[in-house]
Amino acid sequence: MSARLQVRNLRVAYDRNLAVSIEHLTVEPGTLAAVIGANGAGKSTLINAIANWSRAAPRLSGEILIDDRAVAGKPADLLARRGVVLVPEGRGVFMGLTVEENLRAGLSAVNAGGKTYSLADIYTLFPRLRERGTTPGGSLSGGERQMLAIGRALRMAPRLLLLDEPSIGLAPRLVSLLLETIRALVDGGLTVFLVEQNVHAAMAVADSLYLLERGRVVASGSVAAMRDDPRIIEAYLGARDG
Amino acid sequence: MNVAQQLVNGIIIGHAYALVAVGWTLLLGAARLVNFGHGQIYMVSAFIAWWVMSTTGLPYALAVPLAILASAALGAIMQRLFLRLTLSQDLVNLMIATLGFGQILEGAAGLAFGPKPETFTSPLQAIIFTLGPVWFTAQDTLTVGATILVFLGLYLVLDRTRFGAAVRMVAEDPPLVALYGIQISHVYISIFAFEGAAVAFAAVLIAPRTPILTSMGFEQVVMTFVVVVLGGIGSVGGSYIAGLLLGLFTTFFSALVSPAYTTASIFALLIAFMVLRPGKLAASGNFAR
Amino acid sequence: MKALPAPLRLFGLAALALLGFFLPRLLGGSSHVYDTFGMIATFSAMSYGLDIILSDLGEISLAHTAFFATGAYAAAILSVNDGQGAWVAMAGAVLAALALALVLGMITLRTREFAFSLVTYAAAVVCMNVAANWDFLGGSDGIVGIPPLTLSIGPASFSASQPPQFWPFAYLLLLLTLYVVHRFRRSRLGQAALMVHMNPRLASMCGLAGNQVRLLVFLVSAPISALAGWLYAFQRAYVGTDLFDTYFLVLMLTGVILAGRRLLLGPLLGTALLVGQKSFFSLGAYGDKLILGTVLVGILCFCPKGLANLWRRRSHAAVEK
Ligand SMILES: Nc1ncnc2c1ncn2[C@@H]1O[C@H](COP(=O)(O)OP(=O)(O)OP(=O)(O)O)[C@@H](O)[C@H]1O
Ligand SMILES: [Mg+2]
Repeated sequence: MSARLQVRNLRVAYDRNLAVSIEHLTVEPGTLAAVIGANGAGKSTLINAIANWSRAAPRLSGEILIDDRAVAGKPADLLARRGVVLVPEGRGVFMGLTVEENLRAGLSAVNAGGKTYSLADIYTLFPRLRERGTTPGGSLSGGERQMLAIGRALRMAPRLLLLDEPSIGLAPRLVSLLLETIRALVDGGLTVFLVEQNVHAAMAVADSLYLLERGRVVASGSVAAMRDDPRIIEAYLGARDG
Repeated sequence: MNVAQQLVNGIIIGHAYALVAVGWTLLLGAARLVNFGHGQIYMVSAFIAWWVMSTTGLPYALAVPLAILASAALGAIMQRLFLRLTLSQDLVNLMIATLGFGQILEGAAGLAFGPKPETFTSPLQAIIFTLGPVWFTAQDTLTVGATILVFLGLYLVLDRTRFGAAVRMVAEDPPLVALYGIQISHVYISIFAFEGAAVAFAAVLIAPRTPILTSMGFEQVVMTFVVVVLGGIGSVGGSYIAGLLLGLFTTFFSALVSPAYTTASIFALLIAFMVLRPGKLAASGNFAR
Repeated sequence: MKALPAPLRLFGLAALALLGFFLPRLLGGSSHVYDTFGMIATFSAMSYGLDIILSDLGEISLAHTAFFATGAYAAAILSVNDGQGAWVAMAGAVLAALALALVLGMITLRTREFAFSLVTYAAAVVCMNVAANWDFLGGSDGIVGIPPLTLSIGPASFSASQPPQFWPFAYLLLLLTLYVVHRFRRSRLGQAALMVHMNPRLASMCGLAGNQVRLLVFLVSAPISALAGWLYAFQRAYVGTDLFDTYFLVLMLTGVILAGRRLLLGPLLGTALLVGQKSFFSLGAYGDKLILGTVLVGILCFCPKGLANLWRRRSHAAVEK
């Protein structure tokens, strides 16, 4: 089977500053790949580049393939409709729309390529959201907002779900709950590319791992193999901030 | 002074103001855009309807939808031209560009229709209702009814439909809209098409009250601007009420004080509002981005 | 490019100014050419008033037609109704514009971006309305019969009634305006304006009161446009509400934007192109409006930084090859 996502020679620059330079990166279908790295390592820049989306105006070059089809340069809204769905860092839902409106607002093509999640599916997955159906996004708690962001992304039948630090700002117990939910979705067939600062939590759920430093992949492999990698041990034993 | 009659006149004029402003309410409130070509689209719409009626002999009822379609297309073309400025949120240049577009329309209309005032009439103006001391025409009734319907319709569309949600999304966070799979340029172009159609609808209903001139666009924007600001920028209901109150105000002002200085009095009203509620227009408010 | 030594630069500038003065003569010297050049000088002086708001403060004032008209009306009233000389009319024009600018500046002090533009636009419309209805300002007929411009300096007296005689005055006004704008950009106020525009946060950290700077810049800019109006009143011998026409507004905006913002000679070049078209290749009043609007929209859509930038890009590309 071919890879769901392949990245080759990707370079992303803000003005003249190269923020990401990646030779090679792959995500297999039905797996969860996690990217870890310190603040400013380029994790968000990378995941945004895959969705061809940014709040700034970075310059991209290189190849991005989704199911062997080149997608680099395609507009972000088209990619989203075709199932490359990003939940960005920070503000990821509309504050002025209610929970249900947020869940209904997404537009996806019939050939988006992933499993279609109904509104009921989302409410089963995140029962909290059902109770808050008519609440505006702006009145949700941080955790509820993340659930909503993931929920609305699932509604778009993602063939590749890109999650940028979904656990940021959540209580430790909620972090593992959220990541376990994501893991369960992957076990159900979803493909996820996840950015996570919490190395420990990422290792608990991911299949493969990429360690990013100053925009470059310095270590990668299956979680099992990476567990013994000295750079990982060094990173998350706290020699550097992990 | 016939107070009852002035009251009726004020209500009619007020609805006219509100209807002329409804496109801007959406434009400014939802998309943070302005259109200084607004008055010129009003002028062009009236002339299109007049031209259709006088050259082809089509009835008013058919000229109206034609003018609305033409102006919706005009609005869409305008936004298509300015798309790059809109997407980069270059509001300053966008504003000047709409002013230039208005100038194009005025020049083109002048070339096509000449400098003479023309009489654009609706058959409904001849139908007059008398109720005790007051009278009004069928055209007035249509104007009031249509305005109420347009406002109600806009409110429902914004509140209940997917398209309405998309407009609210664009207003809140344009970049995020793309991640929901929505092509933002379509939303912007639709908003401008609505702006064109709405002002055209207003023009065909209201312009028959006076002779039409190709230079009549200049002042239209001011009243619209005041309605939108007093209504609380972007508030559909607010614009309706502001339009109505403004209509009553101008009617009584011109009856009691001076008809010549009505525009000046409106401006004074605007300034008073800005002084009393400066936050609405200050840089910190939602008005400036 | 290396900067020339100061005396040499001064000499160069003087030679350039002299050349500019004789340009209409070199182009045939007909009355029409002089008239066109007078118009270019007057209208570009008017545009410079807007230029320092648009380029330095980064706001769009749509009230500069009102300042222009204020200058013209003040000149007309003082010279026709009160029989005053041109100097008094000039002082009146400046004072009237300052007063209007102060009022408008206070009103718009806290508004930004399109709120600012909308309020200034509304102010211009109101001014036109007042001019059209107030008999003191001539009502809708305007004020006619403005005498020829006569300026006396000591015993010498200069008078102009024909375009060729008018040209030196217009040219002087233009040079004076250029000098003022140049000095303004180097002044502390000019620097502060730019800082308030480009980086309001930093500006306030440097202790610059943004609102004060904005008001002062407004007060500098209004008399520039008003002086152009003062001259225009004598040039045309009458004033009327057509001075408020959006044509002048769009002319100013296009003049400033066409060549490029924050270029000292930009508004002059832009205005020269536009007035030259109107004067030598006119398509009638409506056709000219159409052209003006098209130029403005075209520039903003395809080259928002102005023609100078296009040329600069071209030469850059050539270098890179
Ligand atoms: N909008 C921007 N403009 C300029 N440089 C930027 C911008 N966004 C990010 N950068 C730079 O790109 C590099 C990578 O930033 P990025 O946001 O991708 O890091 P990150 O790994 O996501 O960090 P964090 O863990 O804090 O989210 C940083 O050096 C940052 O300074
Ligand atoms: Mg990040």
